[in-house]
Amino acid sequence: MDSSTITLLLNLFYHVLVLSLVALGLGMVFGMLGVMNMAQGEFLTLGAYAMVVAQRMQIAAGWGILLAILVTATLGYLIERWLVRPLQTRPLDTLLATWGLSLLVRKGIEAVFGRQYQNITQQIGGSTQIFFVDYPSYRLALMLAIVCGLLMLGLWYKHSTAGTRLKASVANPVLAQAIGIDVKRQACMAFVCGVACTGLAGALLAPLVRVEPLMGMDYLLGSFFVLVVGGLGSLSGLFAGAGIIGSTQVLVSTMLDQTYGYLAVLTLSIGFLWLRPHGLLSNR
Amino acid sequence: MAYFQTAKQAASLLTLALCLVAVPFVTNDFRAYQLGTYLLYGVVAQGVALVWGRLGFLPLGQALFFGLGAYVAGLLLIHAQDNALLYLLLPLSILVPALLAYLVARLVFAGQYVSGPDFSLITLALTMLGAQLANQFTGLTGGFNGLANIPQLGDLDRYSSMYFLIVALVLFSTALLSWLYQTPLGTLWLAISQNENRLQFFGFATDKLKAGAFALSAALAGSAGFLYAAQQGLVTPQAIGFQLSAELVIWTAVGGRFGPYGALLGAVGIGLLSSDLREIWVHWEVLVALLFIAVVLYFPGGMAHLLLNAYQFINRRSGTHVPAYAVAPKTPGLRAPPIQSCGGDCGPVHLRFDNVSVQRNEVSILNGLSLAVEHAGVYCLIGPNGAGKTSSFNVLTGRLARTSGDIFLDNQRVTGHRADVMARAGVGRKFQIPSVFNGLSVTDNLRIALWSNRAQARQLLESTSRQWRTDMLDFLENTFTFLADQADKPAGELSQGQRQMLELSMTLLAEPRLLLLDEPCAGLSTAETQQQIEVIVQAVSRLGSTALVIEHDMAAVQRLSNEVFVLHQGQLLANGTLKQMQDSPLVQAVYAGGQK
Amino acid sequence: MKRRSFIQNSLALGSLVGADLLLPHLAFAASPVKVGLMIPMSGPAGLFGPSSKNCGELAVAEINARGGLAGRPIELIISDAGVPPAEASQGALKLWKGQQVEAFVGMHDSAVRGALVGVFKGQVPYIYTSTYEGGECSPGTQVLAETPTQQLEPVIPWLSKERKLKNWYLIGNDYNWPRDTNAKAKQYIASAGGKVVGEEYLPFTTDNFDANLAKIKASGADAVLITLVGGASVGFNRAFASFGLADKVTRLGTLIEENTLGGIGMQNAANLYSSSGYFASIDTPAAIDFAKRYGAKFGAQAPALNALAQSVYDGFLLLEAMAKKSGSMDPKKMETAAEGIRFSSPRGDTTMHQRHGKKDIYLAKAEGNGFKVVKVFKQVDAGKNCKA
Repeated sequence: MDSSTITLLLNLFYHVLVLSLVALGLGMVFGMLGVMNMAQGEFLTLGAYAMVVAQRMQIAAGWGILLAILVTATLGYLIERWLVRPLQTRPLDTLLATWGLSLLVRKGIEAVFGRQYQNITQQIGGSTQIFFVDYPSYRLALMLAIVCGLLMLGLWYKHSTAGTRLKASVANPVLAQAIGIDVKRQACMAFVCGVACTGLAGALLAPLVRVEPLMGMDYLLGSFFVLVVGGLGSLSGLFAGAGIIGSTQVLVSTMLDQTYGYLAVLTLSIGFLWLRPHGLLSNR
Repeated sequence: MAYFQTAKQAASLLTLALCLVAVPFVTNDFRAYQLGTYLLYGVVAQGVALVWGRLGFLPLGQALFFGLGAYVAGLLLIHAQDNALLYLLLPLSILVPALLAYLVARLVFAGQYVSGPDFSLITLALTMLGAQLANQFTGLTGGFNGLANIPQLGDLDRYSSMYFLIVALVLFSTALLSWLYQTPLGTLWLAISQNENRLQFFGFATDKLKAGAFALSAALAGSAGFLYAAQQGLVTPQAIGFQLSAELVIWTAVGGRFGPYGALLGAVGIGLLSSDLREIWVHWEVLVALLFIAVVLYFPGGMAHLLLNAYQFINRRSGTHVPAYAVAPKTPGLRAPPIQSCGGDCGPVHLRFDNVSVQRNEVSILNGLSLAVEHAGVYCLIGPNGAGKTSSFNVLTGRLARTSGDIFLDNQRVTGHRADVMARAGVGRKFQIPSVFNGLSVTDNLRIALWSNRAQARQLLESTSRQWRTDMLDFLENTFTFLADQADKPAGELSQGQRQMLELSMTLLAEPRLLLLDEPCAGLSTAETQQQIEVIVQAVSRLGSTALVIEHDMAAVQRLSNEVFVLHQGQLLANGTLKQMQDSPLVQAVYAGGQK
Repeated sequence: MKRRSFIQNSLALGSLVGADLLLPHLAFAASPVKVGLMIPMSGPAGLFGPSSKNCGELAVAEINARGGLAGRPIELIISDAGVPPAEASQGALKLWKGQQVEAFVGMHDSAVRGALVGVFKGQVPYIYTSTYEGGECSPGTQVLAETPTQQLEPVIPWLSKERKLKNWYLIGNDYNWPRDTNAKAKQYIASAGGKVVGEEYLPFTTDNFDANLAKIKASGADAVLITLVGGASVGFNRAFASFGLADKVTRLGTLIEENTLGGIGMQNAANLYSSSGYFASIDTPAAIDFAKRYGAKFGAQAPALNALAQSVYDGFLLLEAMAKKSGSMDPKKMETAAEGIRFSSPRGDTTMHQRHGKKDIYLAKAEGNGFKVVKVFKQVDAGKNCKA
């Protein structure tokens, strides 16, 4: 296998894992709770800007990550209480309200940090030799972290009692409430975890991508497409969707060009939305 | 035929016309030119309001049709300068978006009975696709810089007289939508947004209705795009992209999505105001976002609804009563035309289940169910919970896919037919939990039932169809007096028992040949149960239909019918008279019947 | 003579004399001339809004101190050009017809320029100042924007020799500016003895450039000409460096200014060159003085100077020169006056010919903590854009 193929495979794996990480939060919020949170991308932006703050204060990146989680979780809690919960029975209205919210968050970030691009330095620089090719070390570390994180999350969800309680609340809230599970609290925690995950994604990705107030929108739309293709409500669905969308994008872009890659992803999403609106592997 | 149900509507339209026409004289030509662009956006927003406010599904990519109409019109206008015949093709700028919308909606809604977010996401993806293609095919669309040098439309100067053509379009679309909203079709649209599932059981192909409405909204968008191309002289990919689509939704939400005036108010109010205030006040966008959130949380009807409430409040204070719903005048009524499905002389229905099985994972919901009904009359389906009684109804009406076996109606194979197809074949169904149109009045609920299988397309556009009466309706109103006494009450405000009776009435009014009643007395008091049973027995004998009734109350079963089917574990256990069933040791072993 | 009539006559004479003395001052208190400045205050290019606005205000203040345009003070009115072209042209129309604006300076993308040219139809002077693809010849329009010819014709041969570049990869976003730039670039690459080994145009929505980087690596390119804009430029360049390509492959961009460099990060900017008419770090006396005046007026925390914003300042200088030469704001007189005008600005000297500006071009390398000019190409012609 020559080096360009190995690089291609590594790129593919990287892209799929990053898509999974980014869409994980929305998967919890939309996939499990049914909340179409149009402000999800802004949580990613907040996570990235937490790293900006950490860099300016010249503290270790780890604190930046912690700050990202803290800020997004707090904001997520407030949103869940005041915006999402009152609109529980009106999903389209949730979409609209969170849309308005995303504008407010963007304007807020603009007001504090300005519109210019921010530069976050990678904590792990340089490249590593892997499978006979040089690949950026930060990316490799990130990929490893994502794999471990997803595995742990999957195991927790499958085997822990907390995970079972969450599954029950999602599958049949009325019955779950009747047997004593505090469904409201479960929903709140799921939402908060969902947005915090996206904040974490933003913090981890910040050294690799452009950082500016408008950065969140592309990730939002991409995440929606990943979820509808793969199926809502399960980790395997998330991974399937990321796998299909990510692979298509990387393969078509490499073999043809980026325009066809973009068109292929859009067409694929439309096709799945039409033919399998519940996605490939759905729990619903 | 009255064109406007109330003089109020005519007055509103006239006021709008006067206000709009006065603008260039009261202000100046430039102001009118600016207003004209936002009026065009307003027409597109009216289409969004139609689909979202009336029918209940949200299009996130409406600019696709607007931009498509604009590009088509722009290209035609440019090339028509060399070849005047191309002017004749200008209606394509309206037809092409409409056809595309119809196609998309039919494909997406086929077989669905509830609108989900997938439609919204599909329209979003389509608009992104449209913007990318517009950017890419520079030879055709001018690419990023757009299609430029589009000439004016004929002699209409784009800075002065073009405005009046735009006003004409606005008045036309407002009048058209206002009229349609108060036709029977408009009521059906509302019914779709409230309970699409139920409407299918009255024989209405809701996917076609939704697609038709979506196509209408796209036609409006396309015609607005046509005038936009002529007015601006330039069409760029922003006219077809997500940004404009998002703004349209925001304008419709804030202005008011339940009527055409609200959408106009939103587009002109917010849109035009934004372009003025954005430069004066830096935080204008923040205010719009806050306003948007407030509207969504507290005023789902938007500014128009607020204004209407204020207007009604003032009127109530001053003593003029404004009814909340447009009430048809009480007339003696017209005889309704006959039922479509059979014309009345088909004879009793023949129903046969032939070894029908339904498997889901490892669970057998139906396990080789075979039963046959040959004569008219009432039959009861009894059996313990989980026996498959409701599932047999579901598989018959296309709500549950069968794994094997077949169902025959009048010796025609009807396995897997959709609910609305079965309803049109004369199968009526009443649900265990009463399923009516909660937001519509009792009268409107009954009307929908009357239109079922009777009204042809043309009649759905005539307000006289609201006055139909049948003998069955007279009978039901005499028995269930609340149907006439509380005619204007929204069905959602009725008690549980009344809703059961309402739904039974609706099912009967459709005069089905095969009546599927799922625990029609659930939740009723003893007296109400008696009444309900009497109605069923009398109605079925009047109609000469066959009824299958799922019941648990043995006294009711006794009164209702002589013949009983006992189901157990997805199969027919036994059938015969009730006495035979009660004496059968087999039946006794698996099912202990109870008395209410 | 009666005393009353004497007094009356004296007063009359006195007021006449007084009026004569006062007349030049009254003449300067003539009506202000409204100038419209179209800059992106929102949208993807919105980050250049504040700095462009500042440069416009600085120019207006200084020109007014010198006597204004043909003796009339400038009243600056700003309109957002970051909105879609339809809205931008409506904004311009509002200024022109509604507020009697008599001249426009515009720093925005070509789509908006096309819309504005269609609206103005040569009836109002319009100066276009940001980098663009060349070819604008509409009546009434003067273009200070750098053309691909200016930015690349002298630069590519020099850089090729300096860095020994043979194989060029061309990458840009998919619209007319990158395509027209690359069309010209191919000629210059060929005449410098180089070869084009790849060419790709990306949609604006692309944010994953791994496929392109793999292709660049595989093609054996030793130089990349970047015509990506905005966020794509930042994302591409960051990923480029993270894959270790920065040490082996030289990058040249024609729209990489200080903000974009800030987003890319100095750690990712090895061997990154930018060709432009202005950099904030130019060390000519005029440029240094300009930067000082900018800092004095707007403070140390003001949005950073960059080529796009500074071009607005130059636009006003050109307007001043045109008004001075023609003596009035009449569009036709301004049009004829423009040809041959020469003015000095923080960038150096600019000479107008066939609607375009012959000017100095700077080639800078990313070094230290910003751009460092490595070569100045003096008075580069803008190339053949218009027939006459």
